[in-house]
Amino acid sequence: MTSARIAACLAAGLASLWGQSEVSPNQPPNEDLYLYHSVPDIAVQPVGKPATPLSGLWRDRPLLITMVFTRCAGVCYPFLRSLRAATELAAKPPSGYRVLVLSFDSRDTVSDMKAAASGIGAGADEDWIFATAAEESVRRLAEATGFWFRWDGEKRQFDHPAVLLAVKNGRLVRLFAGGRITAESLGSVLRDLDGGFVPSYPLADKTSFRCFQYNAATGGYSLDWGALLLVLPGTIAFLAALLTFRPWRRRGARAPFPAA
Amino acid sequence: MPPSTLAADAGTLRLRRNTMLWALTAMALFLVSTLLGLFLRLFQGNAFPAVEPVWFYSSLTLHAIIMVGAWFLGSMAGVHYLLARYVQPSSTASELAMGGSVAGVVLIAISTLLGKFGVGWYFLFPLPLYPNGVWLPWATAVFFAGLAILAVFWLIWVLDLLRAIARRYSLSVALGWHILRGAKEPEVPPLVLITTVSLVVVTAALVAAALVLLLFLLHWSGRARVDALLMKNLTFLFGHIIVNITLYLGVAILYEMLPAFAGRPWKTSKLVAIAWNAVLLLVLFAYLHHLYMDFAQPRWVQVAGQTASYFLSLPAAAVTIFGVLALIYRSGFRWTMASRLLVCGVLGWVIGGIAAVIDATVAVNSVFHNTLWVPAHFHTYYLMGVVLMVLAFFDHLSRELTRPDTDVRAAGWTLVLLLAGGYGFLAMFYYGGATSVPRRFATYPEETLQGVIQARVAAAFVVVLFGTLAVYLSRVAARCLRAFADCRNAS
Repeated sequence: MTSARIAACLAAGLASLWGQSEVSPNQPPNEDLYLYHSVPDIAVQPVGKPATPLSGLWRDRPLLITMVFTRCAGVCYPFLRSLRAATELAAKPPSGYRVLVLSFDSRDTVSDMKAAASGIGAGADEDWIFATAAEESVRRLAEATGFWFRWDGEKRQFDHPAVLLAVKNGRLVRLFAGGRITAESLGSVLRDLDGGFVPSYPLADKTSFRCFQYNAATGGYSLDWGALLLVLPGTIAFLAALLTFRPWRRRGARAPFPAA
Repeated sequence: MPPSTLAADAGTLRLRRNTMLWALTAMALFLVSTLLGLFLRLFQGNAFPAVEPVWFYSSLTLHAIIMVGAWFLGSMAGVHYLLARYVQPSSTASELAMGGSVAGVVLIAISTLLGKFGVGWYFLFPLPLYPNGVWLPWATAVFFAGLAILAVFWLIWVLDLLRAIARRYSLSVALGWHILRGAKEPEVPPLVLITTVSLVVVTAALVAAALVLLLFLLHWSGRARVDALLMKNLTFLFGHIIVNITLYLGVAILYEMLPAFAGRPWKTSKLVAIAWNAVLLLVLFAYLHHLYMDFAQPRWVQVAGQTASYFLSLPAAAVTIFGVLALIYRSGFRWTMASRLLVCGVLGWVIGGIAAVIDATVAVNSVFHNTLWVPAHFHTYYLMGVVLMVLAFFDHLSRELTRPDTDVRAAGWTLVLLLAGGYGFLAMFYYGGATSVPRRFATYPEETLQGVIQARVAAAFVVVLFGTLAVYLSRVAARCLRAFADCRNAS
């Protein structure tokens, strides 16, 4: 293989690494990729109130955003109900917070959202805002936060994850993804929003190259693939030394010194 | 009998010229970094209440990288020059490293000073990926690009020095294994033994750095979720070893230079070979003492960390100290500025080493962890240890190449002020550690306000240190410049 070919292969490999896979098909958004990013200040139309930019909602207190569609036969309503229940159980931070339920379906109207609010018992709650927004605005918000939705013509439903975006001063502080949110999970999100201490975060699934695995039942550790990566630098160094010195080479072949 | 001068049997004009250039570069970076250090202590002393803390953290990052980089390169330049007495290292590799180092340092300076990148030299995962409006997002990429360039070009230089040693010595001879078996021949100088050990180990450190950068890239691209514990292990495998090996390269210079002042040889004895092979065996595990507070690490790993830290430092230090004393005792030792710096450097190594071993004890670390005791110990064996050893080399070589008049009284005062400024500054770190003042705090909370006074006192000592260094280094630099010009004219 020529050096030009090797260089081309390396470049192609690096290029494939470089390309960010921000939206993984059928996967919830990866919080790590969006944390602390600015949230676009889109305009929304709340039920029973004048249109407002999002900054009008997060200016004086943190904002929790969830994106739904009212004709959803899947995760939207169970998630909204779990969120509603969690907000009633979780301790409220002194500064308070708002919850924005935003429709990503352009067919949804303000009256659809009003019905959805009544459906989960939040119609009279001042801190819960149900709103619609222009299609383009919804797209911008979705792109900035990793949220995705796709129309499934066969099921006549949107395919989408259920997420809760915790926004403080226009920045994404936490991103919760899952079909149901508990009071404990919401409490940790609210503590983060309030600048409180969160002792531990749930570890992401499918973490690559862990050094050790912990067995909670036995209290014992076992080595995992990451431990191999730990010994790799030392192994490469000693192999490099062996290759450089080549101990199998005949002694007479060593260069005499001092050279002329 | 060791050669009495460094210049007499030094290599080509190109080698001398390169070494002078490295000396000038290291000393210039050292002064800049010392000024940054002064800024940091003044900041902690509340001298700049209107300045945003982000400048403290970006300066801290730059200070650490420059200080470690400058003296790693300075010690490499010294070892390269001295190795040329026995083997033939390539000047091209040294020049490539110079180009790469300049490019890398410039990029890191841009990321910290313009991009306000301030995560510390250890860029602990995943912090660099979350600028959160504190630093500019591009600064992370520029910083990592700078680090990658440094790692690649330093690795080239390291491997070239190993190649040069391998041309004359087999691996077992270079590591003194035949001496361990009781053979006396072939003779292998301690410089070659210590340098071989150091270069093999530093190769592992640079590979670890490359691995960390690759894993950062994988995580950032979303291709994998990387384990934070693995990243911390790899980061300290790289960082701890680079600092540790810089010290050992300085010690290699000491072994080669000191006999010239004592008029006695310093040969590789069985004890010397045992001590430095113990370093080879254990240095890769000593970094684990940085992870004592990581409870997810199994207990046997923590035990290995403490054991390796103890047995890494004790044999090499004991053998070296004994060797230095034996070499000096009744030898008619020539006390020049360079030889005094070398001996003071050993003292700094010992004091810093003892403080390091104390901190590497799990029971103590649970109290001292992330207090000012940590910078206290590494600044001692660095600033008052390896820096003095490498400065001794630059001082002595530049003096031999230019033959200036020697002002003995000025040299004496320089040393006194250097030690007073240095140890005064360090004493405040130790005192801060003993009184639970945390490290890496731009400003101190009410509970540790004693740190403010300590920082102000430390800053006063740094002013003395910087003033002395500025005067002393300007003289050494003038000689280096003259020697550099002479080499260029002669070639």
